[in-house]
Amino acid sequence: MDDFGKYLSKPEHEIRIITYRDVFQSSAAEKSKFSDEYKNLSAIIQLDKKDIKKMGLKIGHNVIVKSTVGEVTVQLKVIESDIPHQGFAYMPNSPWSNAIVPLSDDRSGVPEYKMLHATIKDAKNESITLIEELIA
Amino acid sequence: MVIFLRNKYSVCPGCSLLCDDIEIEMKGTEIDKANNACIKGVSRIKDTKKLESKIDGNEVNQDEAIFKAAELLQNANNPLIFGLDNSTTEAQLEAIKLAKLISATIDDNSSFCQGPIVNAILKNELKTCTLDDVRDYADVLVFWGADPSNSHPRLNSKYAYYPRGKERQRGWDEDRTAIAIDVRESSSSVLCKDNFYQIPPRSDGELMTALSSAFSGKMPKVSFDIETQRILKLSNILKKAKYGVIFAGLGLTYSQTGIETIKNFLTELNTYSNFHLIPMVGHYNMRGFNQALYNETGYVNRVKFVKNESGNLDIKHGLQYSVLEQLNNKEPDTVLIIGTDPFTSMPHSVAKKLKEVPTIIIDPCETLTEKIADVVIRSAKSGIECGGNAIRIDGTCVELVPIINSGCLCDEHIICKIMEEI
Ligand code: SF4
Repeated sequence: MDDFGKYLSKPEHEIRIITYRDVFQSSAAEKSKFSDEYKNLSAIIQLDKKDIKKMGLKIGHNVIVKSTVGEVTVQLKVIESDIPHQGFAYMPNSPWSNAIVPLSDDRSGVPEYKMLHATIKDAKNESITLIEELIA
Repeated sequence: MVIFLRNKYSVCPGCSLLCDDIEIEMKGTEIDKANNACIKGVSRIKDTKKLESKIDGNEVNQDEAIFKAAELLQNANNPLIFGLDNSTTEAQLEAIKLAKLISATIDDNSSFCQGPIVNAILKNELKTCTLDDVRDYADVLVFWGADPSNSHPRLNSKYAYYPRGKERQRGWDEDRTAIAIDVRESSSSVLCKDNFYQIPPRSDGELMTALSSAFSGKMPKVSFDIETQRILKLSNILKKAKYGVIFAGLGLTYSQTGIETIKNFLTELNTYSNFHLIPMVGHYNMRGFNQALYNETGYVNRVKFVKNESGNLDIKHGLQYSVLEQLNNKEPDTVLIIGTDPFTSMPHSVAKKLKEVPTIIIDPCETLTEKIADVVIRSAKSGIECGGNAIRIDGTCVELVPIINSGCLCDEHIICKIMEEI
């Protein structure tokens, strides 16, 4: 059954992503953007716990996040907050989020950092996208 | 390595607050401690490594890299200079001279963040104030799309919420009201407790319109889910403020609320109250770049210098000269990037276009973008290994005195040397 399951494609779920700044991640960037510390604080996506349950995803597992301009594999996290944010996911501003942020269509010249339409699905056994792969 | 005789305090170039109360402790020739700095500042000040310049990925001495950069720029027909927000004002002025010399397009990160707000402030179209005014007088603080706990970690402890000031002697819990308006709960919005207003993305303009209605006694209406009573409560706090300050963060800029909407809202609010706006520019001298280019050209960013038939320079400005448009449309034939890392800060669909053009980097740190660059010139870390001036988040000029001398050239002198070669 397990063997059969791995050939089934995992369902994709639509999500809107808001990017944000994190002081610990900024501090890690100052030390080295090629470090595990920077990767662990950057290559993440945070969802509302109800969304995680509804989508059948698992906290701590890797997920593939895909937009019109690219895709990355990052680790799924949850925010323990009393304020629900269903339908919205959060990613720190980083090379991983920038791999999937498109330019906006309007005349402001500002990319879609605060309203990025994407899909999310379980990454099966895929590991987190390496920073070197993002530049390639 | 020479250690400078320092004043008691140094300035941190970790963000545009330019905290000027940093106590440095040395261990031999290395910086051991940066007391008073936040975690981000400590990393900026302490993590200074000696790295080599490179051509095509191979280590070279700095002069060779400078010579190669000059050659590439001299042969370019349509060069682009981008970055400079982590450089001193002196380096920025030299880069503007270089842009004129080689008829380049010049732009910085404000092009896709706080540029329109800084532009309006420099044109006196938005009322602003200094951080010292905030500490001494502000009774209502509005963090709009801003999360200073993460972007400007010491803003609240040093200037905005917690310190006592001339007219704010009774402490933050009695004397100041902090409000957060944001699309997500953040470390800063938690401080604001019941005064956190969570709104859907791109609803900032709509909330401004609703608040303007409430100011004039009309019933505020919005299309999203928020109790009318809460909007009325917020409008009352804003109207009654003696000295209000809006900290406009990237969230507000990225909400695509036009600058006209922001200006109209502040004007309307100030018919009842006394509000000021400070843009939360990130990099330590982004305001310096905007100010320097504005003084030279009348524009804060997105400028191209073009030699006309009579040999004089014309100044062109517009969205087509923004770094994102330039790269996306494959306009430049050589790109010089100074103190910034496009693969960290801009969409990769655009940053990847750098692979198709000769790219030169001037940076003290190892960046992602240097992996695809033709030339990397290592510079001194400004504010730590070299000095100069910078413009703080509120427009105040701050002098940076170097802490150590690593013998490395600063970006100002590297740019001068490139110009000499050309
Ligand atoms: S708040 Fe900014 S300037 Fe102050 S110590 Fe932290 S990083 Fe440095």
